[in-house]
Amino acid sequence: MNAVELENLSYAYGNVRAVNDITLTVPAGEVVAVLGPNGAGKSTTLLMLLGLLPARTGRVRLFGRTPQAAAAAGQVGAMPQAGGLLPRSTVGDLLTFLHQVYPKPMPVAEALDLADLTGLAGRTVERLSGGQAQRLRFAMAVIGRPDLLVLDEPTAALDVEARRAFWTAIRHYAGQGRTVLFSTHYLEEADANADRIVVLDRGRVLADGTAAEVKRRVTVRTVSVQHQDQDYSVLPGVVAYAVKDGRAVLTSTDSDATVLALAEAGLLRDLEVAGAGLEDAYLALTRLEV
Amino acid sequence: MRAYVRLELRRLARTPGLLIFTVLMPLMSYLLFTNINTITGQDKDVAATYTMVSMAGYGAIGALLNYASGLVIDRSIGWLRQLRLTPLPPLKVVLGKGVAAMGAALLPVVALCGAAVLINGVRLDAGQWLAILPLLWLGALPFALLGIALGYLATSQTAQPLNLLVYLGLSILGGLWLPLDALPSWVAAVGRLLPTHAYADMSWRVAFGGAPSASDVLTLAVWLAAFAGLAVLGYRRSVRSIASL
Repeated sequence: MNAVELENLSYAYGNVRAVNDITLTVPAGEVVAVLGPNGAGKSTTLLMLLGLLPARTGRVRLFGRTPQAAAAAGQVGAMPQAGGLLPRSTVGDLLTFLHQVYPKPMPVAEALDLADLTGLAGRTVERLSGGQAQRLRFAMAVIGRPDLLVLDEPTAALDVEARRAFWTAIRHYAGQGRTVLFSTHYLEEADANADRIVVLDRGRVLADGTAAEVKRRVTVRTVSVQHQDQDYSVLPGVVAYAVKDGRAVLTSTDSDATVLALAEAGLLRDLEVAGAGLEDAYLALTRLEV
Repeated sequence: MRAYVRLELRRLARTPGLLIFTVLMPLMSYLLFTNINTITGQDKDVAATYTMVSMAGYGAIGALLNYASGLVIDRSIGWLRQLRLTPLPPLKVVLGKGVAAMGAALLPVVALCGAAVLINGVRLDAGQWLAILPLLWLGALPFALLGIALGYLATSQTAQPLNLLVYLGLSILGGLWLPLDALPSWVAAVGRLLPTHAYADMSWRVAFGGAPSASDVLTLAVWLAAFAGLAVLGYRRSVRSIASL
C-alpha cells in the first residue's frame, strides 16, 4: 500500500507556477525529506497533498483515498510551520480535545512526554516559547497516531539542542512503521533523518533517491583559477561557470576530475577549491537537468 | 462534537473580558435606566420589567456576535485548517462553536433576570418566567448564526468594526436601548422589522401578561432563515478557498 500518490500535480498562484507537474509515490513506512530552497514549491505541494489546497491539475491519493477521506479516518497528522494553536487554550485542553476526536489515539501523557512538554499541560498557548509552541504542534500532530505524519519545516524555530531532541522523537515515531514526510531547507537534516530525499526546485522534482544518491549529486564544489580565454564549460564535472574579478569560477560536481583536466590543459593558475553551499548545489542540479 | 464544545467552553471560562461587555455593561445600564427617572419615559415598575428584557437581550446578542465572530481569528491563525486534518467534520466544528456561544449567551440572561428580581423587585408568575427565560436565551439563536456568518465573511481587518456596527445598529434601531415609542416614528417603523425587536418583543409581551405575537415569530423566523443562509454561504466559501484556511 502506498501512503502517498501524487500524479501530475500542478498549482499556480496567478501566473506563477508554484508546482509544475509533480509525480511522486511514497510507500507506507518510508521517511521522506522534501528538500528545496524558499519558493521551491514545498509548502504548496504539502498543502495539496493534505487536501487543504485544491490541485489545479493532477490527483492526490493517501492510502488509496482522497486526502479528505484519509483525514476523516484519522490517518493523517500534520504540523504546520506556524499558527494552528487556538488562543486562550492550554496545552492540556488542546491535546485532550484531539485525543477525543481520533479513533486510536495515544494517551495525553504519552504525547506530552514524546514532545517533551510534561509539566506544561496547564499553560495557555500565549505563554509558550517559540520552541515549546513548536513542540506542542508536534504533539498535536502525533497524538492521533496517524499513519502519515507531515511536517512542514519542523525545526525552523528550534535551537540545536531542541532540534536533536525533536528528530529523536520523530525517528521514534517513524520506527513504529509509520510514514513521515517532512520539508526542509537543510541537506544535513534531510541526510540524517530521511530514508529518501526528494529535491524540489521551482515546482519540479530535480532529484529523488536515497540520501547518499542525492548527496552525491548535490555535493558540489567551487573550483576557481586565473581566467584564461578558454571554454571552461566543456571540462568534466563543470555544471556552471562564471568570470569574477579576473578569475574563472567553476561549479563542479566532480572537483577531482575538473582539477585534473585543468592541469592537463595547462590552465592551473592560482587554484582554489572550496565547498559550495546548498544554493550552488541547487544551481548545479538545475543545470544538470538542462 | 461534545469534545469541541468542551474545548470552547474552557476557553470561555478563561475569557473574563467578555463578561464585561456582555454581563457587566448591560447590568449597569439596566440599573441606571431603571433607577434614574424619565430616561425611558416609563413608569418605574414598567421600566424595571421592560428594560430587564432589553438589556438581557442586548447582552445575549453581544455574547453571540462577539463569540461566534471569534471564527475570524480561528481562520486567520490556521486553527480551522488544522481541524480539517482531524476526523472531526468541519460542520461539527461550526455547530460546536455555535453551541458554546449559546452557552455564553445564557450568562447575561440569568444575570439580568436575577438583578431584576433581587434589586428592582420585579415579580412575574412562574409561567411567565418559564416562557421568558427560554425566549430570551434560545430566541437569540438567529444572532448566533449571524455571528457565524460574519465570522466567515469578514476579514481580520473588518471583523471588529463590522461586528460593532451590526451590534449597535440592530440594538438601537430594534428598541433595545430606548423603547421604539421614544424614537422618531420612521425609525420605529424600520425598527419593527428588525430581528432584535421581534426577539425582545416576544418577551416584552409575555412580561406584560400577553403572548408572543404571530408577526414577531414570523419576523424572527424570516431573519433566522436569512442568517442561516448567510452562514452556510460563508462556510462554503471558506471550505473552498485557500485565502480563508
